[in-house]
Parts: sequence; C-alpha cells; structure tokens
Amino acid sequence: MENLINLGVFIILISCGYVFGKIAEKRHYKSIINRERKFLTLPAVSGKNPVGEVPPIRRAQLVQGSVVISVDYFKRMLAGLRNFFGGTVRSYETLLDRARREALLRLKESCPGARQIINLRIETSSISKGGKNRIGSVEILAYGTALYYDIGSPSA
Amino acid sequence: MKYLPSLPRKNDNVSHNHPLREFFLLLAGVVALVLAAYWSLGLFVDFAVERISPEREARLFSAAFSNGADKEDPPSDREAALQEIVDNLAPCIDITFPVRVGVQESEAANAAAFPGGRIVVFSGLLDKVKSENGLAFVLAHELGHYKNRDHLRLMGRGIVLVSLTAMVTGGNADIARVVAPARDVGQARYSQSRESKADRSALEALNCHYGHIGGATEFFEAMSAGRGGVDIGALHYFSSHPELKERIDALNDLAGAMGFSSGEVARIRFEREDAGAAEEGRPSGWRDQ
Amino acid sequence: MFVTNTEMVHGKTITACHGVVAGSTVRAKHAGRDIMAGLKNIFGGELKGYTELLGESRDQAITRMKAQAKQMGANAIVNVRFSTSSVAAGAAEIYVYGTAVTVE
Repeated sequence: MENLINLGVFIILISCGYVFGKIAEKRHYKSIINRERKFLTLPAVSGKNPVGEVPPIRRAQLVQGSVVISVDYFKRMLAGLRNFFGGTVRSYETLLDRARREALLRLKESCPGARQIINLRIETSSISKGGKNRIGSVEILAYGTALYYDIGSPSA
Repeated sequence: MKYLPSLPRKNDNVSHNHPLREFFLLLAGVVALVLAAYWSLGLFVDFAVERISPEREARLFSAAFSNGADKEDPPSDREAALQEIVDNLAPCIDITFPVRVGVQESEAANAAAFPGGRIVVFSGLLDKVKSENGLAFVLAHELGHYKNRDHLRLMGRGIVLVSLTAMVTGGNADIARVVAPARDVGQARYSQSRESKADRSALEALNCHYGHIGGATEFFEAMSAGRGGVDIGALHYFSSHPELKERIDALNDLAGAMGFSSGEVARIRFEREDAGAAEEGRPSGWRDQ
Repeated sequence: MFVTNTEMVHGKTITACHGVVAGSTVRAKHAGRDIMAGLKNIFGGELKGYTELLGESRDQAITRMKAQAKQMGANAIVNVRFSTSSVAAGAAEIYVYGTAVTVE
C-alpha cells in the first residue's frame, strides 16, 4: 500500500512539475525575446575595448544583473534519471539558458542611458544543488562596465 | 568597426526534442535494468542457497533465534496437538531438525515460520480451520518453507538488492523513488513464487501422510468467505502472497495433475479441561462429543 | 571560424561587432563512473573518466557558440571566457562566451 501511495505522489509531483514548469518557461522565453529585441541597440562585449570609435566618456560604472532560477520536479527527476546513464542533461539546458539571458537583460535594464557595456563577465553558482529534498537552483551574475558618453557629443 | 546586432533565429544552446519522450525512455530503461539486475542476482543467490542444506540453515539461525525449546511453560494442549501433527509430517517433508510449534492468542488468522525452527500459529486460525487435515496443510506449508530454505533466499536477495540500489543511486533521493517500487515488485513476485512452492510441498506432504488431500484448501476457502470489500488489483503486484483464489486454483490443478484424491477429514481434537474452556469463553462444545 | 581569447585576432582587423555569443552544455556522468570515482576517492589519482567527460562537454559548448556566431553572420569570436559550475548533484555545466565579430 505504501508503495502505491509513493508512486501516486511521485506521479502527481511529476505532472505538476511538467505542466507548470512548461508554462512558466514559455512565458519567460517570450518576455526574454521581447526585451532582447528592445536592448539590441545597447552593445555588450566581453573585451576591454569598446565597440567602434567612442566619443569622450563621461562616466564608466560597474553594473551587474543577477537572477536565481529553480528547477521544477520534472526537471529534477529527468536529471536524476540521466545520472544513471550519463549524457546531456537536456532538461537543465533551458534553465541555464533562460537564467543567463535574464541576467544579461537585468544588467542592461539597470543602467538606463548607458551606451555600451564592456568587459562583460558571467559567473554561475548553484544554490544547494538539489540533493535530498532540497531546492535545486542556479544563480547567474552578469557584470561589466557601463560607458556613458558626454552629453552633447556626437554618438558613435 | 561597425556594430551589427542580431538575434539568432534558432537557439543552439537547448535541445529541441520533447522532454516527455526522453523521460519515459529513461524511466523504462531504469526499471528494466533494475528488474534484470534483480533477476540475475536472484539466480546467483539461488545457486548459493542450493549449496546450503536445511539442517545447516537451521543451525545458522538457531544461533541467533531460539526455537522456544528453552521456554519455561509446558506446552498447552493445543500446542501439544499441533506439535504432534508437525512431528508426524516432518518425515514426509524430509525435515530432520527439531521444529517447535507455539500458539499465540490473536485475532489474526495466520501462521508464521521463523528462522531457526519455530512455527507460531495464531489462535484466530484455529477458529477458522476446524479439521486436522486443514491444520496439517497449514503446518506443512510452513515446514515447506524450511525445506526450501526460503528464509535464506529472501534475506540474501534483500541484502544484495538493497546494497546494489544504494550503491547505484548514491544519495539521489529522486531516483530512489523510482527504483524502490521496481525493486519491491521484484521481491514481491519472488516471494509469491516461493509461497506457491511451499503450497506445493504442503500438498505433497498431506498426500504422503494421510493418503489423500482432503482439507487442503480449507484455510483459503475460510479466508475467502470472510473477505468482503473492494479488491484493488494493482495491490497484488506488491503483495508477498499470491491471491487466495489463485492459490486454491493452483492446488486443485496440482491435485489433478498428480492424481491426488480427496478424502474424509477428521476434526481436530484438543484434549482440554472443561474449566479452561469456560474461562476463555469458548463454546463448551469444542470437544467432540 | 577564428576563436581567440585575446582582444583581437592577430594579423586581421575587426570590421564589425555582433554582440555577445555563448554556448553551454550540461553533462552528467553515468552510474559506472560514479562507482569508479568512489573507489578513486580511496586510492587517489586522476579521474580519467571525468576528465574525458568535461573535455567533451567543453568541445560541445564551443561548437554551439560557433554555431550561434555563424547565425549572426560573424566569422570570428574574440575574448572568449570559460565558466564551469556544478548545477545538479552529479552534473556539471560548461559555459563559454565571447564577442562575435567579423574580421578581414
């Protein structure tokens, strides 16, 4: 009897995780794509040198954006099963992709009026990897230097 | 340099195949692997157990479990009567080490065989089964467990499988939720097959001792009659004993195949003092007039 | 496709910049490797299985990054950086990112 209950709970958790996880993911991706389109005009590069010829720079500022996203039960279970056989853990790929793009967008949103982001770095860390009965979540921090041009100068 | 931004059309950083398909595939793989491991390790344990005789098993376990021979109280009349049946059946089942029977007051209608050579019959069973042959079948079934070394088998399998599961899943609680039921189903199926084997041994012993198999299914029929309510089919997969109806059918089929015939059953006789009967509220007609 | 972790591709000039591109992959080890690693924990030494696993993951991540750069029309990636982290018990994630540029 106990086994059947266990199985039942398992099935309910998995279905909830799958359904709600899928909905949340779709919504998030839509929002991400929209915002990325908006911020296309703000270049971000991972190098020291700014893009193109830049006019005198008024201000250079460290900016950052971070986000913590957690897994749903379905993803966790899939990762656990994957652990058995090895290979690409596909369920986590979307999670991390979303998290990174979100962090970058938050960075760009945090500096209105900036003209460029240079020296972009991205740090990942996991919060309690999701072992026994704990929440598995990943934290992404994106940081870089935002350049503000002198007002009145011709932009690049 | 110019700045030419664009958004990639296709997201290369994610895989585009359906997660549900992957999930079911992996799940099926894991369950199949567990069942296969169970089956092959089971063969190994069986091979090892065949090498151990019932006597040695009894010696092994009697070091850890006592068989009640050192109990202070003298056996009650019921215990003495049951012990006599067991002693008579022992040569038919080929058991040479001492097996002692005890009776436990309980509403449960059941009997259990403990490692080391001790059988405990619960008094609820004595209420349901009135004939000597019926009781002999139940006792022969328990003796059959000893003969087949079922305790060793089940214990061996349990240890091997639980260790294997722990080693493979590591600390991962999620996958244990999947593997544990698969493992339990395997154990349950094996246990059911051992019970059927014990039923078969009991039937043969009954025929050997009494010359006929009358009363063999009395216990199962009495239990079926009392049972009402909803029967959830799926539960039987996890149950350690086969379904009652299945057991009755199997015994009838076996009797037909082996050419056993039914016969007259004798009522069990417990010589009791009348005072004792009145105290426990038993009908005074317990003793055959 | 040129991939460097310097500011420029030496010997070429950058004519256009397309923004940041990235590639990532999450890989898990299988149960067998886990058991071997457990044993190595007692005896010490290089975990060759894991080295292989992470090496393959890095290659895959770089391939994905190149594919994304190609989609954007770039032919080189500069200022490439790696980031490794473990995001789930038993799985490691490799992330590689850089700036996609067109060089001549």
